[in-house]
Amino acid sequence: MASSAVAPTSSFLVDKKDVGFSAVCTQPSFPCSAQLSKRRVSRKIVSVMAPQQSERKPSTTGAVKTGMTMTEKILARASEKSQLVPGENAWVNVDILMTHDVCGPGSIGIFKKEFGQNAKVWDREKVVIIPDHYIFTTDERANRNVDILRDFCNEQNIKYFYDIKDLGNFKANPDYKGVCHVALAQEGHCRPGEVLLGTDSHTCTAGAFGQFATGIGNTDAGFVLGTGKLLLKVPPTLRFVMDGEMPDYLLAKDLILQIIGEISVAGATYKAMEFVGSTVESLTMEERMTLCNMVVEAGGKNGVVPADSTTYKYLEDKTSLPFEPVFSDGGARFLQEYRFDISKLEPLVAKPHSPDNRALARECKDVKIDRVYIGSCTGGKTEDFMAAAKVFLASGKKVKVPTFLVPATQKVWMDVYSLPVPGSGGKTCSQIFEEAGCDTPASPSCGACLGGPRDTYARMNEPQVCVSTTNRNFPGRMGHKEGQIYLASPYTAAASALTGFVTDPREFLQ
Amino acid sequence: MAAAAAISTPPTFNLSSGNPNSSSLPHLKLTSCNVNPSISYSQSLKLDRNSRFLTAATASPSSAVNGTNSFHGLCYVVGDNIDTDQIIPAEYLTLVPSNPDEYEKLGSYALIGLPASYGARFIEPGATKTKYAIVIGGDNFGCGSSREHAPVALGASGVAAVVAESYARIFFRNSVATGEIYPLESEGRLCDECTTGDVLTIELGESKLINHTTGKEYKLKPIGDAGPVIEAGGIFAYARKAGMIPSRDA
Repeated sequence: MASSAVAPTSSFLVDKKDVGFSAVCTQPSFPCSAQLSKRRVSRKIVSVMAPQQSERKPSTTGAVKTGMTMTEKILARASEKSQLVPGENAWVNVDILMTHDVCGPGSIGIFKKEFGQNAKVWDREKVVIIPDHYIFTTDERANRNVDILRDFCNEQNIKYFYDIKDLGNFKANPDYKGVCHVALAQEGHCRPGEVLLGTDSHTCTAGAFGQFATGIGNTDAGFVLGTGKLLLKVPPTLRFVMDGEMPDYLLAKDLILQIIGEISVAGATYKAMEFVGSTVESLTMEERMTLCNMVVEAGGKNGVVPADSTTYKYLEDKTSLPFEPVFSDGGARFLQEYRFDISKLEPLVAKPHSPDNRALARECKDVKIDRVYIGSCTGGKTEDFMAAAKVFLASGKKVKVPTFLVPATQKVWMDVYSLPVPGSGGKTCSQIFEEAGCDTPASPSCGACLGGPRDTYARMNEPQVCVSTTNRNFPGRMGHKEGQIYLASPYTAAASALTGFVTDPREFLQ
Repeated sequence: MAAAAAISTPPTFNLSSGNPNSSSLPHLKLTSCNVNPSISYSQSLKLDRNSRFLTAATASPSSAVNGTNSFHGLCYVVGDNIDTDQIIPAEYLTLVPSNPDEYEKLGSYALIGLPASYGARFIEPGATKTKYAIVIGGDNFGCGSSREHAPVALGASGVAAVVAESYARIFFRNSVATGEIYPLESEGRLCDECTTGDVLTIELGESKLINHTTGKEYKLKPIGDAGPVIEAGGIFAYARKAGMIPSRDA
């Protein structure tokens, strides 16, 4: 009954050839997955640990249900089916649809064309509209796009519209939040077991809450606006088991860079990425969000982290809607399983111009840089800024290059200015940043992560070298086509700012 | 077309493309409602696609609903991992694709993000349309953002079809959703076989690509799951056929 996508022959390879990769797999007894011999050519994994699976009960008839992964289960429940297998297409009920200023107007246009100028959205409480991409700019079209969102929200009486009108002072806008993926989490729209779709590739961030979350285009969004459903194909799941105590110089960004470097930018195409293991369980919600955020950079359809007490605690004061978490069955079948001993990993970067161009930060110490950018849904959350502050505090010195800080949301901005940084004697992140000579934290938005209109703060308008906590570094990503972007964790970004070169944060943290 | 027989399958269908490295589509739709504001909604999609695609082709409309049987023209060759920022840099995303004027402007910026190492420009300076009807790509074409502006820009610029070794999923899904470009998969690396400026013909019915400049022929992968939804005329038409949403005139 299982489709070819999960046939045993394609799943678990037991060749335990240990291909030591750089300094990580020094001890053959530690399971580690093999490095791809050549990033571009081969996506085959040479050595993968066979997963521990609980014994499945033998089936007496062909009608016995197979165990499902949590992604399969979420989609099955959302499509009111008792069983789904990878490869099947199902009409899935959507719990939340998110859109922003870049894709919202187009989606609205399609919605009206297809359902009629007077059509109403399927549920005014399930559409969350979050302007965040091109906000603090004089670009007229960008400003107009926010107006289009407002008109639609007024007309449809959309419950959740995080509006902004006063572009000169973000604090004067009580409803405005900022970066959509962080806002969705902070405003309690992410709930375990649900289906969340958004017109943005990093919608997969919400998978950190144990839900199915993925990015879609305008046309699909227009369809969802009218029907509350979408035809989705069930992806097979790749399982990433991360065990070991997280060293104090590593962050979730390093973990996901490790994985993307492992499987390549197309290694998870059309697949779900499930993150489990003791390390994952030790991660905070924001760190889990960072992990799931870059699933799309591996081509992944969605990422998931099983919900647990950390999740429920985070949600306590954020949502009053009931939810029912979903977990992978013991007998669930995974396409492949990768195991990592996190205690062996080192801080990483993704070198220009691909998120899978993985390298050890310490091996790039001769790379002179021109600027550092700390921000975005990937690396602009409260904990990301606390992490950067920790490095600046440990150093006590000033940055050697312009260091741009863009809090993702109003809440993050507030935290940067109010939360005390441990070990600092009561200083806030903002004070530490000021003492280190960083730029003043900017108005919360997506900022220069994707370049944007020419007057976007921190946009790269010259061919420079930048270390960034963002998610993509393809040519021209932050503006200039010849710009060189090194993706890194907030620790690594802060360390690099202090030296003016790509720098392993252990220079300051140990 | 091979996919024509699949029209009668119920909405939930299993993938039959047999391609493990699958860009087989979850669902696809054609709603290129952006192109000509004067065309009435009920007939916009197919007319427009046909008028753009049937250039030198003499094939008469087949039993396929949209009648497109072949593509013909010059090809533009790109490499692997052409991401959406290269296809349409983010600064142009203020253009709203469902607005006809802005749709055309998007087209004029298609592939403007490619590095300078690409000698031939996709669109000549001062022009708004491309002379290349077919884009040949490598692996993971369209990776990166979910922006629908990417396939829209290509389609608006005049591209009829893309033939890539593999696609990123959101881009592929959006391509069929918008109907802007026909996303085909090659067997092997056509990007190594073709050169920008080669004259190509793609015969959809035979899943074949002919390079007239080199004289070689290549097999293409059948459109697979994309077929039934394209045949139906897009996800909206497909859903109407399946009774999921009421017909527009109801």
